[in-house]
Amino acid sequence: MTRTRTLLALGAAGLVLATAACERPPVDTAQIGFRGVAMETVTNPRIDATLKARNTVPEPITPAPPGDPAPPGTWQNVAVLGNLSVAEFNRTMLAMQSWVSPTSGPEAGCAYCHNVANMASDEKYTKVVARRMLQMTQHINATYTGHVAQTGVTCYTCHRGQPVPQNIWFYTDRYQPLRHYLDRTDIRVQGGAALPADADNRSSIKQTEYAYAVMINMSTALGVNCTFCHNSRNWASWEQSTPKRIVAYRGLSMVRDLNMNYLVPLQGIWPANRLGMHGDGPKLMCSTCHQGVNKPLYGAPMAKDYPGMYPAAPTGTDAVRTTAMGGAPATPTP
Amino acid sequence: MPEYQNLFTRVQVRTRHVDWGVPVADPSWRTDGFKPFMNYWIGKIGDAQIGPIYLGWTGIASIFFGVLAINIMGLNFLAQVDWHPIQFIRQLPWLSLDPPSPANGLGLAPLAEGGWWQIAGLFLTVSILLWWWRTYSRARAMGLGTHLAWAFASAIWLYLVLGLIRPVLMGSWGEAVPFGIFSHLDWTAAFSIRYGNLFYNPFHMLSIAFLYGSALLFAMHAGTILATAKLGAEREIEQVTDRGTAAERGALFWRWTMGFNATMESIHRWAWWFAVLTTLTGGIGILLTGTAVDNWYLWGQKHGLVPQYPALPAQLDPAQMGTPDEQKGYYQQVPPDSFPGLPGRTDLESPVGKRKYPMGGTGAIEGKNRPHVSGGKTP
Repeated sequence: MTRTRTLLALGAAGLVLATAACERPPVDTAQIGFRGVAMETVTNPRIDATLKARNTVPEPITPAPPGDPAPPGTWQNVAVLGNLSVAEFNRTMLAMQSWVSPTSGPEAGCAYCHNVANMASDEKYTKVVARRMLQMTQHINATYTGHVAQTGVTCYTCHRGQPVPQNIWFYTDRYQPLRHYLDRTDIRVQGGAALPADADNRSSIKQTEYAYAVMINMSTALGVNCTFCHNSRNWASWEQSTPKRIVAYRGLSMVRDLNMNYLVPLQGIWPANRLGMHGDGPKLMCSTCHQGVNKPLYGAPMAKDYPGMYPAAPTGTDAVRTTAMGGAPATPTP
Repeated sequence: MPEYQNLFTRVQVRTRHVDWGVPVADPSWRTDGFKPFMNYWIGKIGDAQIGPIYLGWTGIASIFFGVLAINIMGLNFLAQVDWHPIQFIRQLPWLSLDPPSPANGLGLAPLAEGGWWQIAGLFLTVSILLWWWRTYSRARAMGLGTHLAWAFASAIWLYLVLGLIRPVLMGSWGEAVPFGIFSHLDWTAAFSIRYGNLFYNPFHMLSIAFLYGSALLFAMHAGTILATAKLGAEREIEQVTDRGTAAERGALFWRWTMGFNATMESIHRWAWWFAVLTTLTGGIGILLTGTAVDNWYLWGQKHGLVPQYPALPAQLDPAQMGTPDEQKGYYQQVPPDSFPGLPGRTDLESPVGKRKYPMGGTGAIEGKNRPHVSGGKTP
């Protein structure tokens, strides 16, 4: 009997080792597609609790009293937030330092971006980057309502109190597939016809692996599985996909736009210690905002409390593209 | 512990002196340098005697080429972790020796860009074919049937389709399977995705049916024999024609439960054919993929294999709405398929026909910049 027990114990230990990569139960499954097609969301309350704790929104700062835009001449060297009232401007600055700046050391608070003796000076690179990032945030909230809806984003969506957001990427050999987040416009590898003569499809297995890698990167970033967007029996089919896939597609376009037009142009601004091994600046991807949750910060409407996160008025081109991206133009919600 | 649950044999099969075997016409099977011996623990899972082993020239050459192939793979893996033995063990499941890039076509590739894969593949194939000849010639030397050799040949057929025949038909070594633990699994997943879901490939269906059928038959047969062993069922072949009580009871059991029984002989034909057909049909399925069919899902749809489900809310492919100019690809004039500081390729055209790769203009995203070929120190 002793030997039996030893064998059983060894077997149990082996089983634990063999399944170490699996999640411990309980696992909840909810059906989201037609029966039998295995489209379901899988959640684990234990992991959800950790995620919820990690994705909470800080209390909004006391609203500023309503007021007219700061009169011309109030500020020197203000390019982005000049349309705000003086009180709202200062409140936005306060919020930004609580979202982004280090909390200790010589660069804590305002000093992370500003020369506190001359707040208007652009001598710190962080101020130049912050200005561009503000423009980016306004661009997202105005243009990509098809992706961020009316929830919008703030600096906190990515930064979470850190000077450098946690989930960023640089060029490395293993990150080759992430170039889809930068300058590859086509991820499609499946042909549109059954037979090779009609399909004219020369996509390679390697290309497929890259597409697969990007998809898994998205899946991990959002904490969802493939069937959140796709019916896995036919990945390419839009008819069989869930409406979430459209939102994700707009997100992919958005990430590419932001990397191309906001992050890459800052490459000359960042100091060497902010660059990757190939000398490139940081770039964003889905997980930069999402951080393991399919709606960043569980969809908490944080941007509405900060008018500075929206542009003064939707510009002409933004309005046109907003419609192209499937959303109504956003207006700042006071 | 109940008898039937035991993993180990209940009888030690061993002789007082080592058994050199039956006399055969061809004496070459006997090797003098290796003295057979008995081992109690080996007797727990089979015959307690180890040896004599016949090597001969096919065996020696097969082991030689096999060891070379495995060493080429292992040394490439080691090079990928900068010859760090601990990292080699930690990262072993992820390390991979990849075939040349699709742009290389069927040519010989530089060593670091798939050339080692070609050499390792050649040596491994030579080794496997020599081992096949060994199973065939030893069976003939002992006057046996050649069933084992032909069953092995069926597995070799699948191997050759994957690594040689299909890549040649497709015009590129890049279609072949990499050597690596996870990488060959990734290849399998990517292969199915690229060709529109292999589950709709009828030969894949047959192969799976034979594979699972093999496991079922194996369990049914082994269960029957073990259950009737105390009545003499282990003398299976004698009971083909001279059915003892074990064979009678086993047969009656199956007629009772499913109305039909295999015989002591035919069950082995069932098992042999199921096993052989698994890889035979699997190889046909792989061979047709990409050569005769590009998208198995759409093929299945065309031929009524695909069930229709209620449609989800109507969807429009957003790519048809056009991509705004500022989102189209460019990066500081560096070709999109290389990272700055790494060599880029802009000359990629499909080796077959004049068609361009559909992706990103040049389509070149191959192994050139992978860690093991660029010598990069990416962890």
